[in-house]
Amino acid sequence: MSSLDNPTSTLPIGPVHVALEEPMYFRLDVEGETVRGVELTAGHVHRGMEALALRRTLFQNIVLTERVCSLCSNSHPFTYCMAVENLAGIPVPERALYLRVMAEEIKRVSSHLFNLAVLAHIIGFKSLFMHVMEVREIMQDVKETLYGNRMDLAANCIGGVKYDMDAELTRFLLSSLDRVEGAVRKIAKIYGSDVMILRRTRGVGLFGREDARGLAVVGPVARGSGLPLDVRREAPYAAYPRLSFEVVTEQDGDVHSRAMVRMREMEVSIDILRQCARDLPAGPLSVLLPEIPAGEALARSEAPRGELVYYLRTDGTETPNRLKWRVPSYMNWDALGVMMKDCKVSDIPLIVNSIDPCISCTER
Amino acid sequence: MKTTSGPDPRLLHGLETLSLKGGFHWTEDRTGNRFYWFRLDASEGLTRAAELLAAFEARMCTVTAYDPAREHGRTRHEIAYHFACAGTMVTVTVPLFEGTRSVPSITPHFRNADWNEREFMELYGINVVGHPNPRRLFLDETLDRGIMNRVIPVSVLMSGASSTDLWERILGGRGAEAETPGAGETEERA
Repeated sequence: MSSLDNPTSTLPIGPVHVALEEPMYFRLDVEGETVRGVELTAGHVHRGMEALALRRTLFQNIVLTERVCSLCSNSHPFTYCMAVENLAGIPVPERALYLRVMAEEIKRVSSHLFNLAVLAHIIGFKSLFMHVMEVREIMQDVKETLYGNRMDLAANCIGGVKYDMDAELTRFLLSSLDRVEGAVRKIAKIYGSDVMILRRTRGVGLFGREDARGLAVVGPVARGSGLPLDVRREAPYAAYPRLSFEVVTEQDGDVHSRAMVRMREMEVSIDILRQCARDLPAGPLSVLLPEIPAGEALARSEAPRGELVYYLRTDGTETPNRLKWRVPSYMNWDALGVMMKDCKVSDIPLIVNSIDPCISCTER
Repeated sequence: MKTTSGPDPRLLHGLETLSLKGGFHWTEDRTGNRFYWFRLDASEGLTRAAELLAAFEARMCTVTAYDPAREHGRTRHEIAYHFACAGTMVTVTVPLFEGTRSVPSITPHFRNADWNEREFMELYGINVVGHPNPRRLFLDETLDRGIMNRVIPVSVLMSGASSTDLWERILGGRGAEAETPGAGETEERA
């Protein structure tokens, strides 16, 4: 309630709201149309998945982690399998390492296109929204053709992968990438020059380099504030040490910077995919599993939203003693307090979308 | 294969000094990424370890609380703090004992420890001394603290559970509502 002494009033948004893809409750202190304070209340889709993981075997947990979230449904089982492999010292075949990278990069292109489409939707640029989603359909077709599914790829197993590429599938992938690349270049020009997009996204949701470092944000949120943080470069895994790629950064720390990081990263991913298709070595797809000993291990990967960490602890039985995962969105939520400070109420959906939040991942 | 130089030797030495005798080792994955593991003897050393890690610009990645023996009902927990530092991972593990089921907050050194500490407070019932905002993170106040310390059947855990027990509870609840005359009407009027 506002008064002459206290000019701010409280504006509740969520947990179920037309501007939110998933449920989250924002309690905003607003002064007129300007946001003065933000408080988040989470937990509306908490499913107790880490408790479930302790009642499933190490092998059943691949299926569980594939279902943490649909957009990151490859990064979770992939990183989980790496944690088991690190713990047991399992050597993954070279061909499988490349195929794992391909699944990750296909998902990254698709995920970034989805986020950029939602940006256009929030602004009210409906034709652009539909066009970007149409381009994303090419990647959805790639996923369906290569993996049999549009979202949950089921590509990984402990010690390797469960899918293979032949000459025909490789041709299909490369021709699809050509189509996506041309479309992405045209879309990038629109996002980089359209007056309506620039007015709504430049200088909005500012998040400086020091705040990015202090709150330890990850992924495109960090890179959009000039921090070159990318696990693929910082602690290379799978076939990334053998691949050449750029870590994309932008310096302005606003909604537009974060969008342009994703835009440019799609071109990097397409290049990585072409390198993988060219260099894919022959050989087995997986190895026979040894007994998983008691111990503890960590694994990290660069998911579309940023660094994903898995911690696994085993006691020699077939179920884990503890399986903990920390998703990129978990690190990025707190940044909203900085980004929304003194923003306009109408910019809130744009700023929230700019961290590409995943609530299913965050709450598990 | 890996070219990153790794953490400053002074950081590793400082953490080793705080660790239990024999409480330090490192592992490596097949790509050459290194993981350092330190085990402190008590939670008192945690603040000093956090100071050291912050001074050497480590980034706090996550915190994992767990019951190492999985003996539910007992209160023997450990907390592993995971940091990224110069391309490697540094884990500092703190064991908790029956009499000292609390740890100091490391939020003065790592702002992003806020959510992590609130999460293990509600899941494992561990106290964090000096937390700036010790309210629930995900779980509702109506749920007891330390839910991960309890043994809960998988059928109850899963939202798709359809055991007899579940339906008895649902139908039992409906019966109770029906027996309370005018309960629904009161809500509607309100």
